[in-house]
Amino acid sequence: MLPQQHDKLQVMSHAVVGFPTLDENERAIAGLVASGVKLIELQVPFSDPVADGHTLVNACYEALKTGGSVRATLDLCAKVSRQHPEASFILMSYLNPLYRYGLEQLFRDAAAAGFKGMIIPDMPVEEFEPFMPLLDELGLAPILMVTPNTPDERVARIAQSARKMIYVVSRMGVTGKQTQWGQEFKDYVARIRRHSDLPLAIGFGVRAADDLKALTGVAEVAAFCSKYIEWQRDQGSEQAAQNMRQLLLDAQLA
Amino acid sequence: MNNKINLAASFAAMPDEQGFFGEYGGQFVPAEMQAIMNDIDAAYKEICQSPEFQSELASLFSDYIGRPSPLFHAQRLSRQLGGAQIYLKREDLNHTGAHKINHCLGEALLAKYMGKTKVIAETGAGQHGVAMATACALVGLPCEIHMGQVDIEKEQPNVVKMKILGCKLVAVTQGTATLKDAVDSAFESYLQDPQNYFYAIGSVVGPHPFPKMVRDFQAVIGKEVKQQCLAKLGQLPDYLVACVGGGCNAIGLFTDFLADASVQCIGVEPAGKGLDTDQHSATLTKGQPGILHGMKCYLLQDEQGQPLPVHSIASGLDYPGVGPQHSYLKDLGRVQYQSVTDQQCLDAFMTLSRVEGIIPALESSHALAWAMAEAAKLSPEQIMVVNVSGRGDKDADYVANYLQL
Repeated sequence: MLPQQHDKLQVMSHAVVGFPTLDENERAIAGLVASGVKLIELQVPFSDPVADGHTLVNACYEALKTGGSVRATLDLCAKVSRQHPEASFILMSYLNPLYRYGLEQLFRDAAAAGFKGMIIPDMPVEEFEPFMPLLDELGLAPILMVTPNTPDERVARIAQSARKMIYVVSRMGVTGKQTQWGQEFKDYVARIRRHSDLPLAIGFGVRAADDLKALTGVAEVAAFCSKYIEWQRDQGSEQAAQNMRQLLLDAQLA
Repeated sequence: MNNKINLAASFAAMPDEQGFFGEYGGQFVPAEMQAIMNDIDAAYKEICQSPEFQSELASLFSDYIGRPSPLFHAQRLSRQLGGAQIYLKREDLNHTGAHKINHCLGEALLAKYMGKTKVIAETGAGQHGVAMATACALVGLPCEIHMGQVDIEKEQPNVVKMKILGCKLVAVTQGTATLKDAVDSAFESYLQDPQNYFYAIGSVVGPHPFPKMVRDFQAVIGKEVKQQCLAKLGQLPDYLVACVGGGCNAIGLFTDFLADASVQCIGVEPAGKGLDTDQHSATLTKGQPGILHGMKCYLLQDEQGQPLPVHSIASGLDYPGVGPQHSYLKDLGRVQYQSVTDQQCLDAFMTLSRVEGIIPALESSHALAWAMAEAAKLSPEQIMVVNVSGRGDKDADYVANYLQL
């Protein structure tokens, strides 16, 4: 479920639509929800996912061959949001597939499919602004990203259009590598909190129970994505769900 | 008409503060990149106006690159075609043999003035890599070039040159081990320390300010052509012709003439094996607006919004996107975008080699092919300037094999 400010940390995990197959996506999501994950990104595969590391790049590459697309993502969301009313689904995509679909239509169809929010890494806040009345009417939240080098005036502008939560990229670089959670990171989180009362989702570099422990009490959401996709790739969706269950236990989040 | 003239007058001010040329361009990048690009933009604005930078760049353009490059009247070719007078802008005579050195030198010098400690770039066939490595050797900055393993094996002469020039060559083995993966790898390396590293984009593409910056460095081509035409012929040319992949040599030629309504600008795209096949790279001719690599531009894409595989006999032209300013100029109708096939390109390559003794790059041969076909329809009083953006030594073996010479 979407968090409130100061809620205990919860894990957000991930599906690349079409990876390894569309059918497998459904089973994997059921496994995640059974493990206790209530916040799941459904990623539209794209050929050039510039913010992603090798794990997600390769998963996208595979997913494009098995029919991953905007349409397939909407269809999947319609199914899984009916099957798992206790979970919230977030549309994650690079901009071009959505732009090609038609942004306004996409927003309407995404809301109708049951999506609660959207993460679009290469869509700047300026591009969201004209759509804000529509998005508010649809109840579809732009989950905007900030990074350590985002200047304060820009964080302020992002906070204006952000809804439901802000995605705090933990460090510079792409997804799928370790992050250090030291004082510098805590100061950074505090800086973002000065601009917004929204819950914060921390992403990039959350790869183990220790990371989740470090983030407990610091943020409301931790995005555990690349590592989960690695599990799925190497051990299959069923084992990945079990690993997730164990992770939440180890991190005392179950 | 009035509207058109006003637009023409505002070409010089393009792009706007946010990096838009009309609806194209911008900064469609993840948040961290946006801050970095804005820093580069601010530094560029300041440094490019400093007299010190301008005079150092000008002196390197003349004494190192060998500018101005000649404007050569191709008399035998013009006579043979029986139409317009064809003049060749000889960017192939630049140091390193192509126009790329213009912006590579500009970028390397900018990196030095910004106090950066390393320049990072990706390269496909190795042309951008060699030009960048050259410029970095000259200004004394370490240079790191990322290149796919597949390309490394195909492009040994350029690989050897880069090594001799002292750059660090990073072989990329992930994914398809070609240009796209080299971009990812270079990007990742760059993001480890964007404060101290400079990422050098190889054309008028990518997020703002690169389309503007690279254009500004390349605009020297058109400025020289204008002076040379006025000095030699006492008039402006009727046509300017240049090939378009990302589009940097074409923008370089057109920029100084955009406000001169009498000058027709033609950008020539690679039609590969034909516009009706799926093996071409004619983005402006066959694409639709989209977003790729940080910019909005025309894009060859499928119904799902995935960039399509592209093909051209000229590896420097096979890119599914195109510079945002070209996208805008197409919509305005200020530049006409045409295309020629691999075969027409090869014919032009051979014709220029044999009629004028100039072996052009296969990229440039696209512009030549269109010019040769159209010049014949014009009167001998008309002037057509074709940009020979690079020399064809790099293509000689390929063409000889292909034609079984």
